Amino acid sequence: MSLLSLDHLSKTFRTAGGPVHAVRDVSLEVKSGECLAIVGESGSGKTTLANMILGILAPSAGEIRFDGQALPARRTATERRRIQFVQQNPLSALNPKRSVGASIRLGLDTYRIGGRAERWPAVEAALEAVGLPGEMRHRAPAALSGGQRQRVGIARALAVEPQLIVLDEPTSALDVLVQARVLRLLDRLRRERGLTYVFITHDLAVVRNIADRIAVFRAGRLIELGETAALFNDPKTDYTRSLIGAVPVVDESELELRTRLAEGP
Amino acid sequence: MSLLDIADLTLSFKGLSGLTEVLHGISLSIAPGEKVALVGESGSGKSVTARIVLGLLQEQKTARIGGTVRFAGQDLAALSPRDREGLRGTEISMIFQDPTSYLNPVFTIGRQFAEVLRRRDPGLARAACEARAIEMLAETAIPDPARVLGSYPFQLSGGMNQRVMIAMALANHPRLLIADEPGTALDVTVQAQTLKLMRQLVDLHETAVLFISHNLGVVREFADRVYVIYRGRIVEDGPTAAVFGDPRHAYTQALMAAVPRITGDGLPDVPEVSEAFLAPKVHHRLRSGRAT
Repeated sequence: MSLLSLDHLSKTFRTAGGPVHAVRDVSLEVKSGECLAIVGESGSGKTTLANMILGILAPSAGEIRFDGQALPARRTATERRRIQFVQQNPLSALNPKRSVGASIRLGLDTYRIGGRAERWPAVEAALEAVGLPGEMRHRAPAALSGGQRQRVGIARALAVEPQLIVLDEPTSALDVLVQARVLRLLDRLRRERGLTYVFITHDLAVVRNIADRIAVFRAGRLIELGETAALFNDPKTDYTRSLIGAVPVVDESELELRTRLAEGP
Repeated sequence: MSLLDIADLTLSFKGLSGLTEVLHGISLSIAPGEKVALVGESGSGKSVTARIVLGLLQEQKTARIGGTVRFAGQDLAALSPRDREGLRGTEISMIFQDPTSYLNPVFTIGRQFAEVLRRRDPGLARAACEARAIEMLAETAIPDPARVLGSYPFQLSGGMNQRVMIAMALANHPRLLIADEPGTALDVTVQAQTLKLMRQLVDLHETAVLFISHNLGVVREFADRVYVIYRGRIVEDGPTAAVFGDPRHAYTQALMAAVPRITGDGLPDVPEVSEAFLAPKVHHRLRSGRAT
């Protein structure tokens, strides 16, 4: 069952130097409950695509369907609530003047989730779901570590009970030990709550271990789409091959895979 | 003899709430022409160590530095600030994470290159600067170096600016190059090319490198020897193959385990902090490869 489908989606920006085709005629389906990774280098169009899914940008052409319904460019509160966003840099995502609890509660108030009396307990429950103590809601974002802030960003997205979460480089600003914990948390939450993820990243080693399927983008086009293991073992395009070949690796077995891919099909 | 010899280096910063200790006695040495990595997470003290070697933190009033740093036999603390400054850009140079913040946006590459070359040779004529710059840029496989010299940084790609920065850093034939997270801001394919190029050039010029990084994969591909730093202490050091093949310290083991593998071994389950990370240092001997 597909939860989200993109149908011949394009986005062109008009600039002084002529039109920039950021996303070109992309069609793909995101299945309910899966983690689909969108992988590409800078300029591949992955962030523009995310912004269209989130309703931040209107497509120049094509259609976005969610749960069987076409999504309009201007969305209702319910339509917005069902698709949430986790950003790369949680410090810029959280209002520095609000307590983290107030940032999380904002979504509950906006979408009128639960009665007023139930909202603070719901905020604390969201924090506890990401492994933070409920009383952390009183703290300011600046008083938190990078890993804690990213957990708050996830809690905020979870609190409004979305069906789909778009994650844009959610762990690339984190230290490796913190990244490992946050990745496990994201994976567990998806399974426990039946969430669907669109996971945007340039880090192939991360998606190898968290995504069900991978979509490779280059210069605004979807150039390869496949099941994760199949795509790594037998990439169909030279570009995907070169992306995997450029990942700095730590194990001998990884080196063997890289060498095999470098030799070509 | 070592080119760089750091012995029992301590650093603390004086702030409103008293002293904050950052380095708790670090010892590290680099032989001439050797590529050594200092690997650790943010806040571990790796970048401040580089700033001390460059002689930058010595000028900061709030910094309290103990221990010794010797470069080519000279104690940096015994040098005048002026002599320490004289080493920068000539004997010791640096490559940064993000070339666009290193290069000055309002001057052409040619003008910035001349400034670098004149640090060693203040009277160098314009034509000589240009010839030397073209020669260095050609070494970094930049096509049409003359055109690049006339360009501003924003007219070049990120990968191209990175090459320019490498060419500038090596232009005065420094004996030590400090590379702080080089290429981290770039796409993976460009980063891989940048590292390969840097390795070729430092091997060609026999430049020693202090390579600072949080990325274990990059370190494994670049360095001859590795020091792992955790909260201001070296926890493990040795030849790259020994440390990666047989990590002995709990922190190094956790760091290695936490890196997701492209072979798809699943999401690693490692602790974020542990008492064991504070265990004494493990040293792998150079030849036998046995840890002590």
